[in-house]
Amino acid sequence: MSEPTPIIYIVDDDPAVRDAVGFLVSSVGYPFEACASGAELLQRLDNARPACVVLDVRLPGVSGLEIQRELQNRNSIAGVVFITGHGDVPKAVRAMRHGAIDFLEKPFDDQVLLDRISDALQASKIALTKQGRREHMERKLGALTEREREVLALVIAGKTSKAIAADLDISAKTVENHRHNLMAKAGVGSVAQLISWATETPDA
Amino acid sequence: MGMVSRILAALLASLCLFGAARAETQKDVHIGVLAFRGAEEAERTWQSTFDHLGRTLPQYRFHLVSGTAAFLTAAVAAHRLDFLITNPGHYLELKVDYSASALATEQDLEGPTPSEAVGAAVFVLDDHPEIQSLADLRNLRVAAVAPDAFGYRAALREIMERGVDPERDTKQVFVGFPVDEVMRAVRDRRADAGIIRSCALEKLLAEGAIQKDEFRVIGRRPSGALNCQVSTRLYPGWPFVKVAQTPAPLARQIAQALFGMQPGQDEKAWTQPDAYGSVQDLYRTLKVGPYAPFTRLGLADFVVEHRYIAALIGLGLIWWLTHVVRVSYLVRKRTHELQLAHEAARQRGEQMEHTVRLSLMGEMASSLAHEINQPLAAILTYARGCERRIESGADPASLRDAVQRIAVQAERAGDIVRRMKDFVRKNPAPQVPIDPAAALHDAVALFEPTATAAGVIVESEIPDTLPAIRADRLQLEEVVINLLQNALEAISAQDDKQIIMRVRGDRDRLHISVADNGPGLAPEAREHLFDPFYTTKKNGLGLGLSLSRTIVEAHGGRLLVETDPAGMTNFRFYLPLIEEPARV
Repeated sequence: MSEPTPIIYIVDDDPAVRDAVGFLVSSVGYPFEACASGAELLQRLDNARPACVVLDVRLPGVSGLEIQRELQNRNSIAGVVFITGHGDVPKAVRAMRHGAIDFLEKPFDDQVLLDRISDALQASKIALTKQGRREHMERKLGALTEREREVLALVIAGKTSKAIAADLDISAKTVENHRHNLMAKAGVGSVAQLISWATETPDA
Repeated sequence: MGMVSRILAALLASLCLFGAARAETQKDVHIGVLAFRGAEEAERTWQSTFDHLGRTLPQYRFHLVSGTAAFLTAAVAAHRLDFLITNPGHYLELKVDYSASALATEQDLEGPTPSEAVGAAVFVLDDHPEIQSLADLRNLRVAAVAPDAFGYRAALREIMERGVDPERDTKQVFVGFPVDEVMRAVRDRRADAGIIRSCALEKLLAEGAIQKDEFRVIGRRPSGALNCQVSTRLYPGWPFVKVAQTPAPLARQIAQALFGMQPGQDEKAWTQPDAYGSVQDLYRTLKVGPYAPFTRLGLADFVVEHRYIAALIGLGLIWWLTHVVRVSYLVRKRTHELQLAHEAARQRGEQMEHTVRLSLMGEMASSLAHEINQPLAAILTYARGCERRIESGADPASLRDAVQRIAVQAERAGDIVRRMKDFVRKNPAPQVPIDPAAALHDAVALFEPTATAAGVIVESEIPDTLPAIRADRLQLEEVVINLLQNALEAISAQDDKQIIMRVRGDRDRLHISVADNGPGLAPEAREHLFDPFYTTKKNGLGLGLSLSRTIVEAHGGRLLVETDPAGMTNFRFYLPLIEEPARV
């Protein structure tokens, strides 16, 4: 499974700043996309790639901080580096509390920006991995009924069929049926194999 | 040498002898004579009197000085005359003005009585049958020698008594001396009627100067013993007059000589002086001569005669002059003060304008700092990018684009700095033709960062080409920014923020409006909106709108506020265009 290429999103209403930051990041080899507004970013964002959003705090219409919230709501894996025209401590605190990588004041040191972008991409990759696991798990568990998921959880917890039947207030015979179906859906022949299937991750 | 001194001595001796001899033998006596038909006629008329005086009083040498009444009066005033022979009217004036008195009155031995010797005849050409009485003179041309001629005045009285005012109802023609001119004027039909002293026509007839039935005398009155046709009352004959400074013994000698004169045929004789009361009557009626209010009196005499009133008038004059001087001084002083006040007000106005501009700039400063920071950030970032590419051995040609963009951004920062510097400039500029589009773009550019910081985009519709106006560009920018700032503050508390700036030119005006969707103006605020120091803002100076209105009006325009159909608060103003589309 080949790793997706990271991407930098530059969001600033000032085309010159947008273009200059793009010029800088491309000079170290990052691909980038320039967006004039938060709306444009949300439209273009690819959640399957590690990404860093270089985000101007002050934007016409939806502000930078509001975009950060929206990214969180959408479970974005992108790391956010804020850039701002002037240091606004309350805004910076708010941004950092919501997970921003940094809050840089214009004109910023190029090395610091590139370092923060790198940090952001690293974080984004981790987030992307976590997200991949979660999705895999969800895909597997998605095929099971709710009762089957309850039974599976108790099986993994090491409980006997009799104990499970007592916990769920059903007959031991019914528990056996669920277990049979679970192993059929997982394509395994033993309880040990079933437990292994349920807890495996792609990276593991 | 001896020769010269001998001649000089002889000359001096002869001079002394001559002077001494003259002084001892004869004293000079100057007698003025009124000449109504020239000097020769005057001499001829009075020759017998002069001859008689010369014979009777050989110790005096008599000089005849003839002239008009005005000339003789001037001679009396200059003390050049001792006596005068003149008409009764002139005598009356001299009597009043120079204390002259009559020694004798002329007497024609075969003629009229001395008190009824002189009058005047009003005559017309005989072929004017329609002119019969003096009342018929209305609207006609009437000739006379002069306005102050005695005969004319005598006739004037009669004409006025017939209900005709010669000055108003007739066209007067004054032909001057001699009296013959009057006859000629009528004969040549330059006048319809003539006024002439009594017996002058008869004399002209006797001389053969006129035909017997050529002229006809109108308004005839009984002439008594006077054997001439007259149209007027009769007045005493001419007096022999002495003036105030004539020595009394001389006057007595002369009077005695006159009374002892035995005249021959057609010669004048002299008798006791008449009282000349009828002449006074005439002058009083006509309100002329001494009876003319002020006109004939010498100023000096008048002042002496009315010294208290004169003193009052003098004081009045002094007061008036003082007043005039004081008023002109005050006017000059006040004008100067007004100019100073005006200048001070102008400077205050400029100071206020500058203060308001600085205040506006203060409000925009942080946004503008951010605005300058943008290109600086871009420049720095491009430069670092270039550095990295050079280090990694990139093709220098690939950097050209970035270097060009650095230049553009540097210019952008420079523009912002220029606009800021211009805006806080203190020197007032004259109103000159400007392109309003450039000024409005600058104003919006200065303000936009502030709006952006507040999360507002100013929707401005400024056409690229606008007709030229005459304006102080800075003041125009100040008004626009002030309106934008007010609009921004009006909408600061709401989520939906809208500012729309519209600019359009019509045939003779440039219209600029700034509208916002704020809550609108309270009636109280609307009323005091343009008052200085009225403000609804926490940190406002309260000068912006009052100043803006002053500026707009100084440019010949008006600044108004209204609620537009969409419910937006709309501040709009217009400025007159330059009449001829001028190039800027």
